[in-house]
Amino acid sequence: MSGLITLNPEIRDAIVESGGEDVIKCYQCGRCMAACPWNFLEALNYTTYRFCQRIRLGAIIESEEKEAIAVDTIDVFRCVGCDSCKHECPRGVSLSDVLRAVRRILVEYDSYPSELKSVVSRLYNTGNPLGEPSESRADWATDLKVEQFDAATHEYVYFPCCVPAYDQRARKVAQATAKILKKAGVQFGILGKEEFCCGEAVRRVGAEKVFQTAVKHNTEVFAKAGMSKVITTSPHCYTTFKNEYPEYYNNIDALHATQLFAQFMSQKKIAPKKPFHKTVVYHDPCTLGRQMGVFEEPRDVLKSIPELKLIEVPVFNREYSICCGGGAMGLWRDWPQDERLANLRTEQILETGAEIIAVACPYCLQMFEETLKTMNVDIPVMDVAEILYESLAE
Amino acid sequence: MDIIVCVKRVPQTAEAEVKVDSSGKDIIRDRLTFDMNESDTYALEEAILLKEKFGGAITVISLGSVEAEDTLRIAMAKGADNAIRIKAEDFGELDGYKTAQLLGSVIKDIKHDIILTGCLATDDYYAQVGVALAELIGIPHATLVTKIDIVDSKAHAYRELEGGLLEHLEINLPALLTIQTGINEPRYASLIAIRRAAKKEIKTVGKADIAGGEIMQHSTLEELFTPPVGKRAEILTGSMDEIATKLTDIIKGKGLL
Repeated sequence: MSGLITLNPEIRDAIVESGGEDVIKCYQCGRCMAACPWNFLEALNYTTYRFCQRIRLGAIIESEEKEAIAVDTIDVFRCVGCDSCKHECPRGVSLSDVLRAVRRILVEYDSYPSELKSVVSRLYNTGNPLGEPSESRADWATDLKVEQFDAATHEYVYFPCCVPAYDQRARKVAQATAKILKKAGVQFGILGKEEFCCGEAVRRVGAEKVFQTAVKHNTEVFAKAGMSKVITTSPHCYTTFKNEYPEYYNNIDALHATQLFAQFMSQKKIAPKKPFHKTVVYHDPCTLGRQMGVFEEPRDVLKSIPELKLIEVPVFNREYSICCGGGAMGLWRDWPQDERLANLRTEQILETGAEIIAVACPYCLQMFEETLKTMNVDIPVMDVAEILYESLAE
Repeated sequence: MDIIVCVKRVPQTAEAEVKVDSSGKDIIRDRLTFDMNESDTYALEEAILLKEKFGGAITVISLGSVEAEDTLRIAMAKGADNAIRIKAEDFGELDGYKTAQLLGSVIKDIKHDIILTGCLATDDYYAQVGVALAELIGIPHATLVTKIDIVDSKAHAYRELEGGLLEHLEINLPALLTIQTGINEPRYASLIAIRRAAKKEIKTVGKADIAGGEIMQHSTLEELFTPPVGKRAEILTGSMDEIATKLTDIIKGKGLL
């Protein structure tokens, strides 16, 4: 941006109306820019702190020039919603919500990256971002004798999320979780093919109508099943059920699996016995940690495992964790190698010298595994549930 | 240079689960997203590039239901000046020829130097409308165009042929070109243009507005169905490792490895 700016109050009003009211709070101190992980990448100069002021002036995606429009649009859809900026902001501005408001307008006009359009389309069509048939949503549980939820006999619904339900690797996380729940004597069932994506990613990307479809589908299923307690594997489902769904369905109480595992430990319902002779580094998923404040439970679980040595990424741990890049459909983006947050975070993690990378989010699992392959580094990435289950095995 | 672009709103079916409805003549549209037909987005972009170079106005026309007006607004947000919807609900079943006649009956009254359409629509794959439309209004055409130059009031259209050949045609204007995907990079819309487009009028044309001869239909849809799985198709099942092993065995068995 240089030269004279034409003020477009109409653009500002449209964005505020679309959910971007936080722009008013920003006083451009620039802390967001220092915290934004995109600016840790040398290849980029992502002017995070300018968004709010540009929106207030109506000077965003306002150019008549094709190239300038493209640059701005790509920037608006780059944000992964990790909320590092919000955590640092002295005024509590949620920039990810502000950018979501801009995205809503653009998505309404089909003016957004084609790889995101494909995911939105698949999700709307099949109820999951992978485009897999709903009939095979419970295939991960075929050999585990997990029952369809029945309110008369089950206390919890286990909601594995789309990626663990379909992805061959991530299925192992859902399977480990179900086995732990059984060992702990939890009465639980699944919704199987009735389950639909929670809609977190489509909402972040601005496809609000598709999110509303997901909410309508799921809340009808929840009400019919008479369920209220949900266990999630994905922090993205967890935050959505906890913070977004109550507006549409008030009888829902969500727990992330690691929270429940920590409870089992303190209640002595499970006791890891088998030693796990490895040095493990735990990566805090943004959504579970910084956004939902769940820092200690996954660590407590890991620390309780005999012979497991838990280490931290120096500085960038807990609320200062760096995003894997998978949020807001980042999992399906195809950035050049020097523009990938996953590479940055993986390098930070590898510097710790850990033998195992522990995660508590299916997006982080996929992002790190794929990145390690491109780096030709053979270090296992395991979900906390998988490590715990190994230690519980007879 | 005044340009007309014909666009169609189509369901995005490339990665979708598509099911036939109870009539056996249409698909179930619930849970499908709709967008501008892919090659039409390239035709629109080509029109905007020509307008940027030579000036003039772009009129987008769509034969479709009221939802097609969303597609027309998207076209206006990207750079079209005027939009017309021909009310599909007034005309019953459509084939390529009937669609071309309806578009032609509206286009004949609009000043134009060039008409651009996508090379085919991804819902019915007829690839007929552009060619039939050009013949009906009596102008030359070229299909599957991958590059356009305008020199001395003539269009130079380049067409990709099999075998890596490129065909270069000089065509008198006005002409109709059906545009191949990949000819350009379709643009995003600016927010200010979106705001402008939201307020613009979309002209609608219905049965009462179409003057002249009878609108003919040459083909009717008999049946839409999922083809039976062929005898030579084999669906591999099992875990990833099992599937990979079976696949390797098949490839080895055929002597390809």
